[in-house]
Amino acid sequence: MDLGLKGKKAVVTGATKGIGRRIVETLADEGVDIAICSRTAEEVEETLAVLRAKGINAVGEAVNVRDGEAYKAWISRAGEQLGGIDILIPNVSGGAGMDSEKNWQRNFEVDVMGSVRAVETAVPFLKKSGEGSVVFIVSTNAIETFAAPMAYNALKASLITYSKQLGQFHGKRRIRFNALSPGTIFVEGGAWDMIKTSQPDFYNATIAAHPFGRMGSAEEVAKAVAFLASPAASWINGTHLIVDGGYTKGVHF
Amino acid sequence: MPIKRVKPGDFTRTPIEKAPDPQLGHAIIAKERYTSPDFMKLEWERMWKRSWLMGCREDDIPEPGDYVCTEIGREAILIVRQADMSIRAFYNVCQHRGNRLVPPGIGKLKSFKCAYHHWEYGLDGDFVRIPDKETFPQGTPCQGLPEVPCDTWGSFVWYNLNKDAEPLREFLGVIPEHLDPYHFDRMAMTRDWTIEWDCNWKASVDAFNESYHVQGIHPQLLYYLDDLDIQIDCYDRHSRYLVPFATTSPRVKETSDIPPLIRLIMKQAGMDPADFDGKTREVRLAVQKWKRENGASQGYDYSDLNDDQLTDDYHYLIFPNITLNVHADDLMLFRQRPHPTDPNKMYYDLQNFRLLKQGEEKPERPEHRFYRHGEKSLGQVLDQDAYNLPGVQLGMQSEGFPGLWLGDQELRIRHFHKVIDDYVYGVGEAP
Ligand code: FES
Ligand SMILES: [Fe+2]
Repeated sequence: MDLGLKGKKAVVTGATKGIGRRIVETLADEGVDIAICSRTAEEVEETLAVLRAKGINAVGEAVNVRDGEAYKAWISRAGEQLGGIDILIPNVSGGAGMDSEKNWQRNFEVDVMGSVRAVETAVPFLKKSGEGSVVFIVSTNAIETFAAPMAYNALKASLITYSKQLGQFHGKRRIRFNALSPGTIFVEGGAWDMIKTSQPDFYNATIAAHPFGRMGSAEEVAKAVAFLASPAASWINGTHLIVDGGYTKGVHF
Repeated sequence: MPIKRVKPGDFTRTPIEKAPDPQLGHAIIAKERYTSPDFMKLEWERMWKRSWLMGCREDDIPEPGDYVCTEIGREAILIVRQADMSIRAFYNVCQHRGNRLVPPGIGKLKSFKCAYHHWEYGLDGDFVRIPDKETFPQGTPCQGLPEVPCDTWGSFVWYNLNKDAEPLREFLGVIPEHLDPYHFDRMAMTRDWTIEWDCNWKASVDAFNESYHVQGIHPQLLYYLDDLDIQIDCYDRHSRYLVPFATTSPRVKETSDIPPLIRLIMKQAGMDPADFDGKTREVRLAVQKWKRENGASQGYDYSDLNDDQLTDDYHYLIFPNITLNVHADDLMLFRQRPHPTDPNKMYYDLQNFRLLKQGEEKPERPEHRFYRHGEKSLGQVLDQDAYNLPGVQLGMQSEGFPGLWLGDQELRIRHFHKVIDDYVYGVGEAP
C-alpha cells in the first residue's frame, strides 16, 4: 500500500526529541518535506541535518511556543518556506507536573494553545492542499487515570473534543482532524527512561501490566501517525486512535 | 557538556583550587582494620586518643550548668558550660570508686553528684562535698574530675583525650577557612538521631567519601547530581569533594521533563518549575542566579558563598569521623563513633541543620533519638546506604576477601586510611 505521502509538506511542532523526532524521520523517509520547531537552535539544526540527509526539504527554527505571536508567525513562515502545508502535527507539550497552578497555565499555553494557534494559522494552507490532515498528539493519560491528577492529563483530554469538532467544521475544506494517544512509550531521555533507572520496581510493574510485556517504541507511534496523516487514511476523520499495545483497560464503543 | 564551575577570579571565600592529588599508590587496603580487635585497640590508643573530636554544639549548652555527656569508645566525656560562660570538658567518672556521674545526653545541673556515695563536683570539676570526709585519713584525691582539652570552632565544641594535644585550629588545618563562609552558627538543628549500625565506623566514613556508589545503590540520584564531574581535594588529614547538584549525571540521558528531585531543589529555592522554560541541565545555573538575586529578600544571607555553593554539595571529611554535606541552606552532619568493644558495630550520629532566616528565632532543639539498624527509615538515600553496610561488614570477614581494591573515584578513601595509618603506625611506617 502506498500511503501517498511523497511530496507532501508537514509542519510538526516540538520535533527534535522523542516521539516528535521519530514522527518527522518517518515522514521524511516517506518523502515528506518537513518544518520543525523546538526550544533550542542547536537541536533544531541537528534534526534538520538528519532530515535533509534523507533527500527532502527541511526547515526549522527555535521557537518558544508560549510566545503566541512568535509561534504563529513561525507557522506561517513554515508554510511559506515549504510552499504549502498538507499535514499539521501539533506535538509539542509543556510536560507533566504537579508543582503549582502554573502547571495549568503551562499546559494550557503549550499543549492547548500550541495546538489551537497552529491549527488557526495553518488552516489557510491546509485548505489549499485538498488532502489536508491534522493529527493531534494526545496521551492515554487523557482517557484513563494514571499516576496522579494533573493539568497535563486534563488538558490533553480537551484536544480530543476539539479535534472531533474541527473534523466536522472543516470537512467542507477537505481537512481531516484526528487525535492520537500514545500509551507508555519508551524513548531515551523520556520519562520512562528516568523511571527505569530511578524507580526500577515501578518500571517493571508497569511493563508487567502490558499485554505484550513491554513498552511501545516511538517508531510504533510514528508509523500510526504517518498513516493517519496520509491520504491512505482519507476516510478517517474525527477519530481518536489509541496506540498503547492494549495497555489501557477502557472499552471504547 | 562539562559542568560550569566557579573558577579562579570569580567571587569565593572558600578556596576552590584543586589540591594536588596525593600519590598513594594502588595497593589493597587490608581488611583487618575493619574487623580486628587488635587493630581496634591500636586505633583507640594512637588515633582516637590523639584526635580532636566533635562533642556537641555550643548552643546545646547555652547557660551555666548546661552540659552534654558524650561517649567515645569506652569513654564518656562531660562538656560543661561554666559560670563565666567558658566551656570545659572532663571525664565523666567519679574519683571515688569509678562510677559514671551522669548518663549520656544533655542536661542541666548546679553540680555533679555521684549517685553511689554522693561525692559532689562543681561545674568546674572541683570537689564540692565528700560525705564523711574525715573517714579518709589519706585526704581527698588531689584533683577533682580529670579535665581534657576543649575548644570551639564552627558553632561546635571539640575535645581531645590527649592533654598535650596540638591546638584545635592546628588540627583543623584548612577547615575553618573553607567552612566559615557557611556560618554554621546561623543554622538550627532539626534532627538528632543516633543509629547503632552493624558495621565498622570506617565502613560508614568510606561510604560517604566517594560518589562511585551513586550509580550502584542510589540510581535515582543520577537525576539529581553529577556523580562524575566532581572535584576531589585531599589535604593533610582532611579531605573534600565538590559535587554539582541540581543537574543530571552524564551517565543518563538528559530528560526533557525536569526530574522530580531537581524540581524539589527549585521549589526549595522559591522557584516554580512550571514556569521554567530552560532545559534540565540549565537548572543548576538558574537556581544559583535565582538565589543570588532573591536570597536577601527571602531573609537568607548568601554573601560569603560563591555561586556553586548555592546549589552544590561541598562534602568534607573532618578527620577522623565527621562527614559533612554542606549546602547554602542546610548542613547534614554524620558523626561516626566506634563501638566500645565490637569492631563490627558503630554509632552513626545523624544531625541535620537548616539555615535560619535573618531575625528568625531559633526553634527548640529536637530531642535526641536512638535506633537500632533498620528500625527507622532515615529517608530514601540514607536507607540505601544503611541497608548496604551490614553486608559490607560481613564480607570483610570472609576468607575470600583480601581487602579494598580502590579506584580513582575512591581517592578520598585511600587518603583517609593513609592518615589513619600515619597515626597508628607512625608517618610512613605502615606495615
Ligand atoms: S563511686 Fe562515686 S561516690 Fe562512691
Ligand atoms: Fe550513599
